[in-house]
Amino acid sequence: MIDTLFIGLSVGSILLLVALGLAITYGVMGVINMAHGELVMVGAYTTVMSGIWLHTGFLIAIPIAFVVTALVGLMIERIVVRRLYGRILDTLLATWGIGILIQQAVRLEFGLSFFGIHIEGLGPGLQNVTIPETLQGAISIGGVEINAYRTFIILVTGVFTLITWFILFRTPIGTQVRAIIRNRQMAAACGVDVERVNAMTFAFGSGLAGVAGVMMSGFKTVFPDMGTPMVVDGFLVVVAGGVGSLLGSVLSAGMLGEINGVVASITNDIVARAVVFGVVILIIIAKPKGLFSFKER
Amino acid sequence: MTKRHVEIAVYAIFIAAIMLAPLVLEPFWLNRIAKYLVYGMLGIAVALSWGYAGVLNLGQGLFFGAGAYMLAMSLKLASPTSLQQGSDTPVPDFMLWNAEPGSKTDLCCINKASFLWIPFQNQWFGVAMGILLPVCIAAVIGIILFRKRIAGVFISIITLALVLLVRLLIIDAQPVTNGFNGLTDLGWFKLFDFEFDPYLVQTYYLVAGSLAVVLVAARLLIETRAGLILQAIRDDPNRARYLGFDVPRFQTFFFTVSAGIASFAGMLYVIAAEFASPTFMDLSFSISMVVWAAVGGRASILGACIGAILINTITASVSETKGFAETWKAIIGLIFVLVVLYLPRGLAGFAHDIADWFVARVNGSPHRAAAREADGVQPAE
Amino acid sequence: MPVALTVDGLSVDFDGFKAVNTVSMIVDQGELRVLLGANGAGKTTLMDLISGKTKSTAGRVFLYDTDITNKEEHEIARSGIGRKFQIPSVFKDLTVRRNLEVVSCRNTGVLSNLGFGFSHEGEERVDEVLELIGLTGQAAMVAANLSHGQTQWLELGMLMMQNAKLLLLDEPTAGMTQAETLKTSKIINALKGKHTLLVVEHDMAFVREIAERITVMHLGQVLAEGNVAQIEQNPKVREAYLGSRAIS
Repeated sequence: MIDTLFIGLSVGSILLLVALGLAITYGVMGVINMAHGELVMVGAYTTVMSGIWLHTGFLIAIPIAFVVTALVGLMIERIVVRRLYGRILDTLLATWGIGILIQQAVRLEFGLSFFGIHIEGLGPGLQNVTIPETLQGAISIGGVEINAYRTFIILVTGVFTLITWFILFRTPIGTQVRAIIRNRQMAAACGVDVERVNAMTFAFGSGLAGVAGVMMSGFKTVFPDMGTPMVVDGFLVVVAGGVGSLLGSVLSAGMLGEINGVVASITNDIVARAVVFGVVILIIIAKPKGLFSFKER
Repeated sequence: MTKRHVEIAVYAIFIAAIMLAPLVLEPFWLNRIAKYLVYGMLGIAVALSWGYAGVLNLGQGLFFGAGAYMLAMSLKLASPTSLQQGSDTPVPDFMLWNAEPGSKTDLCCINKASFLWIPFQNQWFGVAMGILLPVCIAAVIGIILFRKRIAGVFISIITLALVLLVRLLIIDAQPVTNGFNGLTDLGWFKLFDFEFDPYLVQTYYLVAGSLAVVLVAARLLIETRAGLILQAIRDDPNRARYLGFDVPRFQTFFFTVSAGIASFAGMLYVIAAEFASPTFMDLSFSISMVVWAAVGGRASILGACIGAILINTITASVSETKGFAETWKAIIGLIFVLVVLYLPRGLAGFAHDIADWFVARVNGSPHRAAAREADGVQPAE
Repeated sequence: MPVALTVDGLSVDFDGFKAVNTVSMIVDQGELRVLLGANGAGKTTLMDLISGKTKSTAGRVFLYDTDITNKEEHEIARSGIGRKFQIPSVFKDLTVRRNLEVVSCRNTGVLSNLGFGFSHEGEERVDEVLELIGLTGQAAMVAANLSHGQTQWLELGMLMMQNAKLLLLDEPTAGMTQAETLKTSKIINALKGKHTLLVVEHDMAFVREIAERITVMHLGQVLAEGNVAQIEQNPKVREAYLGSRAIS
């Protein structure tokens, strides 16, 4: 039983890591970034590439991936998202298109494969990452055997959630972000540079996606399509949790992760996913604003 | 001459083109084009739902797939293989592969849910279910979502989650649906005594004719008063409410019609392609339909239809070379982003502008504006 | 004179805050009643309650003899109430003529409207209304391109087409120039008698032009009722709303 709960927890923590970035961009900017999954993929590929070309270890890839994906996110925000302010559905569609472009960029190795040049680590095939020895195998906690890597994921998720919480609730810029979530126009009227904060928020959210990608690369094969299912899962977590609520996303990720884990142990993975979808649909129908959103007057 | 004349002419030319295609194309190509025509029908469904009703359904594949599977079940039972499984009544081959040893080789009892297949031995049951099931699902969804005033983004997310959910259930129900592999090795659709071999020109005419009918019907539907009210609702649902219109009823009606068209398309696809698969309910397929409609013109019935046909024809021609196929996908992604950013009316927008210019020239009037205003209704944003 | 609108002890409670607190009001058929009050007094909320936008927590509303309390907006609209919003809402993507034609649909169901075109009488009425609101020249123009004042008149025109027995007008002259306000008062005066009107307004000069009886609201309750002179002299009203000087 503990085993099942633990697996649920680790599934939930991966969900959370992916959803965290989405929650922030959706909450602050009302933007549905369908390219978020591709950003996770970029993080995974950065791990692959930094291993091959920079000969760095797995752990160093985390900050590198954060920076790389944050920059990609920044570009997306400036070039596309900024022009679609207020047009939520159009942002959804445009970012889906961007996602396709990013996928193809990786598949076509930025166009170089056209000229017969192959960059190792890119291309349409599968890539793999080896995790450091210390994270392999199982560890014993209180007599229960737990997978070491899964524990690591939970730890990393916890750390980044704390960092995010800290930035949001204990720094000046975090206050600005929260002000924008509550009332964008008032925040602007109070002197908050909304455009700049939005850009940085988007970049931060993207960076988190990159970190999720690094974690993913440790136990999943890396391939160009890997991001697509994630953006769906991520969105469902965010929408179920409630717009603009960090706590909501955390709780909803945990809840959905556990549901997935428990149902999977009773039936199978496929049904478990279906059940999670069903639960989220019901939540949106019953409470469209999400389980833990702010009360509106 | 008015813009109306130009529009009728364009519709006529399009229908003539697709009906006359068999004179210039060989059966292999005809079969491929037939599939693209089916996609054109999906474009119409999306335009109706998104462009006119304002409902962005990101799970249109659900209705396409449902329609497809219903007919495919009947055609599966009609296939020679199913009759050779060692029983008097047809039994799908995959059920035998998945069966528990010792179970009776009959639809009633070969596995727990196989009895659901029994009525499908009649092809017309499959046809009827192919329309009824998706339409009922759409009506239920519509009633629940629209009554609760769930709008915009949330509808899109729910429809997206729904199509993925159903896809997973179909994959999981392997003994009844053959899971990932889908339904293959199907019999041919029979009308009276004629069998629709997918490579016969008659099958092409079946698809092309259906598309022509749906195209004209959808266009006429938009021109009714109900169509006008629908556009008003899309424009400002509150205003419509306060004028006495039951907004959810209109939205549900058109959402359901759109679903019906998509499911009809699903059945035609099965006839032309001879298979039904869970890939019909992939997220990327459902979103692709939206891409086709956006590029062609989401608020133009013919535009969305042509957009779908065009994109798929080019994709198919280009996928001969692996490198080009992937590059083309990137190009489509780029075009899509540009269309969303800058061209909300899609290619149809251009076509309308050209038509306006043309009418103005023919009428000798230097004012394009007059021609455009006389059009009455503007396409959606 | 039959009573067009009866509001009986109507209240709405938002988590303890009573935006409208046991309001009772009777408006006769053909009357033009003005609702006056400071921002937050509950005027728009009262309109929301009558038209069905907000559900009340106590009290009842009657249109003539029909109980319309807490019915759906479109049902209330069909019983004969038309509403004009503070921010003019028309169908921006449609032309002026189309806007009016939409309203002219006699039936409001889907199936009954699966037909083409409009009746001769319908089109004549559209022409009539266009004349009344002064937009005949703009009939083919897309509504988004109308000026602010023209949009307000179009909305009034739509209400006329709707042939509602009771018209709820929320600040019909908001954002208008003096000339536009004058034209609006002419249109509204033309509506008097045939329709019953309940108007929320701030512009006291305009109120003087059109008002017969005034109901003053304050903090969700009815403070006073009377004609212009009575209201101006009412000490409670002066204290709460007008200030110690009279209407200038």
